[in-house]
Amino acid sequence: MIEFRNVKKAYPHGTMALKGINLHIDDGEFVFIVGHSGAGKTTLMKLLLREERISSGELLVGDYDLSKLSNFKVPFYRRELGVVFQDFRLFPKKTVYENVAFAMEVVGTPRKKIRRRVPAILNTVNLAGKQDSYPNEISGGEQQRVALARALANNPQVIIADEPTGNIDPKMSLEIMNLLLKINKLGKTVIVVTHEKNLVDYYQQRVVSLRDGLIVEDRIGGMFSEKV
Amino acid sequence: MRRYNIFYFIKEAFLSMVRNGVMTFASIAVLLSLLVVTGGFALLVVNIDKNLESIGVMKQIVVFCDRSASEEKVNEIYEKLIKLDNIEKDENGNVTGVVRVTKAEALQQMKEQSPGTYDDVTDENNPLYDEFDITYVDNAKVSELDYQIRQIDGIVKVNNRLELATSIENMKSGVMVIFVWFLVVLGVVSVFIIINTIKLSVFSRRNEISIMRYVGATGTFISLPFIIEGIIIGLVSSVIGYFIEMYVYSYVTKMVDSEIGQIISVYPFDDIKLYVLFGFLGVGIVTGIIGSVISLGRYLKQ
Ligand SMILES: Nc1ncnc2c1ncn2[C@@H]1O[C@H](COP(=O)(O)OP(=O)(O)OP(=O)(O)O)[C@@H](O)[C@H]1O
Ligand SMILES: [Mg+2]
Repeated sequence: MIEFRNVKKAYPHGTMALKGINLHIDDGEFVFIVGHSGAGKTTLMKLLLREERISSGELLVGDYDLSKLSNFKVPFYRRELGVVFQDFRLFPKKTVYENVAFAMEVVGTPRKKIRRRVPAILNTVNLAGKQDSYPNEISGGEQQRVALARALANNPQVIIADEPTGNIDPKMSLEIMNLLLKINKLGKTVIVVTHEKNLVDYYQQRVVSLRDGLIVEDRIGGMFSEKV
Repeated sequence: MRRYNIFYFIKEAFLSMVRNGVMTFASIAVLLSLLVVTGGFALLVVNIDKNLESIGVMKQIVVFCDRSASEEKVNEIYEKLIKLDNIEKDENGNVTGVVRVTKAEALQQMKEQSPGTYDDVTDENNPLYDEFDITYVDNAKVSELDYQIRQIDGIVKVNNRLELATSIENMKSGVMVIFVWFLVVLGVVSVFIIINTIKLSVFSRRNEISIMRYVGATGTFISLPFIIEGIIIGLVSSVIGYFIEMYVYSYVTKMVDSEIGQIISVYPFDDIKLYVLFGFLGVGIVTGIIGSVISLGRYLKQ
């Protein structure tokens, strides 16, 4: 469960990026977040990741109250989330396998379990044959799937993707979206920020539309809003 | 943390040291200079100290008793003297620093030193005093001791080298002040350079660090490679520094021995090498850790 209660976010130097967000997302939901450039979509994601702190209001994620979360607990909170970025952010000097395994090493997963789990996740994102390749040896779509596998590695309840298809070609984008929906069907909450009108319209999921730091539309089975 | 592999952290530390080769080199060079210069200074100080100590006369006071004092009175003075602080004692706590020399013994000594000269002086017309030769321990507290002795009834004269003792003490503390300044200034410079080296490592790995943070790495996990980097810088500097110090010190002491060996005695390096080694390791590693912890402040907090 994710709950924004009148959340505002002001950056230093005065930009009000979010001006009072009320949003409830249940476990297992799939949500598109859309909006023009500068509407506050990335800011929303950063608040969820506790990369930025909310300026006022309340933000609850599962058992965590983010307005009260101490710095010390942040790493443990982040293990409940999986993140995917537009620019993949893989380690260029690690293989596909190592990139995924790294997320598990970081949290102290026993080697045995890592060896069992990584191939299974790579299978989920259709990358079974690529585990020994390096990021620069595979396509953008494949790199993004590695990032997705890494996001899944520690079995988080929530997957957050900020423009996951922004850097890859349309055919590959479709595959990434399909994977995100597949992951959603496996029971995970999936939040996807995107500009791709055709994909949003195609999938007919819940669509939350942002404009100038406010939610202007929130529809289940929605289309890309005309209001943004 | 117990499940993390320490070799992972060490490998990461070496990788960034190689990547920032120039800064790593600069850090090691500066820390090395700190250790060699202050180490050399410290060795100079202990050797000066050793030579001051060996001027035995420095630690003696001669106390003369009133010529009219009876045997009981002299014994009374003795009892008071051995109760004073700063008097030499043996390892069992028995006072060895108060030796009574009767006027007869004093006369005898003089007669032995210059036969024939004092033949007409007899025990009856002996003009000397009953005296106590006092050996004390701490030059720094000699004026206190001098004062206490003068308070004792029945003492007519106290001979000491108070001025010399004081000027030597002053010299020693002057040397200490310079030494501490060296240590502080070079220490600050070293920490500063190490901070910049580690900052550079952190900067060149900022992407990795941001990924680590997204997947839930703790501050400790993220910082450990950098702290190990600081430790390695300290370790390398102190080991190289040790060998340089050994070479320089042996060279200098050889010179001293051949030129003015009769006047000045120096510790052989073997006698002090463990102090040098562990001193260097301690200062080097602590400086390295301080440098990396300061530059990591932000990342430790998340
Ligand atoms: N670190 C920051 N400091 C100050 N202002 C910021 C910062 N990050 C974002 N902003 C401002 O906050 C507003 C919202 O930015 P945000 O990145 O959330 O938009 P977005 O919806 O993700 O846009 P885009 O579609 O271009 O990615 C913008 O006006 C932006 O300039
Ligand atoms: Mg954005």
